Amino acid sequence: MNTALVKAIALGAIAGTVAGLFGVGGGVIVVPGLVLWLAVSQREASGTSTATIVASSAAAMVAFGIVGNVDWSSAGLILIGSVIGAWGGAWIAERINERVLALTFAVVLAVAGIRMVV
Amino acid sequence: MLEIVALIGLGIFAGAIAASLGLGGGIIFVPALVVFFGLDQHIAQGTSLAVIFPTAIVATVAHSRMGNVRWRLAIPIGAAGIAGAVLGAQIALRLDANLLRRMFGVFLLLLAVRMAWRTWRINDGPESESDPS
Repeated sequence: MNTALVKAIALGAIAGTVAGLFGVGGGVIVVPGLVLWLAVSQREASGTSTATIVASSAAAMVAFGIVGNVDWSSAGLILIGSVIGAWGGAWIAERINERVLALTFAVVLAVAGIRMVV
Repeated sequence: MLEIVALIGLGIFAGAIAASLGLGGGIIFVPALVVFFGLDQHIAQGTSLAVIFPTAIVATVAHSRMGNVRWRLAIPIGAAGIAGAVLGAQIALRLDANLLRRMFGVFLLLLAVRMAWRTWRINDGPESESDPS
């Protein structure tokens, strides 16, 4: 087996485990993994990561769903909102300093993280 | 009714963050559902995945049309990802909700630190493209 394939399988296994464990997509691992390990450009890393999330989120969703751990109606409502938000986000991104947005969001994540730990 | 509006609002916020910062929704959905909507950690995670899955399909079609998907990498990563996701989900489902919530909190803190660090470093100079992690 070539090295790229071995790296890809290892990356998928790690990202998938985190995705299943925490109910996230796993892009936070796949994107930097592709860029740093497999020398993929940032743009292709985003696209490739999204494709891998289809597979890992489907598997984890089924695992949570069959034991009744999915609130389907809430999921539907959030989905409606995120379609609207995706349009709005592109508009916002062109008008706001990305660093300010990123730092603000990092603070929001930190506050949420602390609330969940304590 | 209020909850319906709030859930759509959560989606709008997460969708906007995803589109402007390129960050996935799960990092937002799970803590918001736990902290603001009072969902059990496991249900929050399952619900997050049920939003991520259709969103990822639509995003993949869009990326693929622009030629930004390297399928030769995406297929092995995705295949191993399925195995990992099943393993990760089985671990999560066996953990106590409070412990899982705390672990998620630590995961969020690590992401916040990484994000802040990256943003500061990019601020320091334009030569950061060599390591865009």
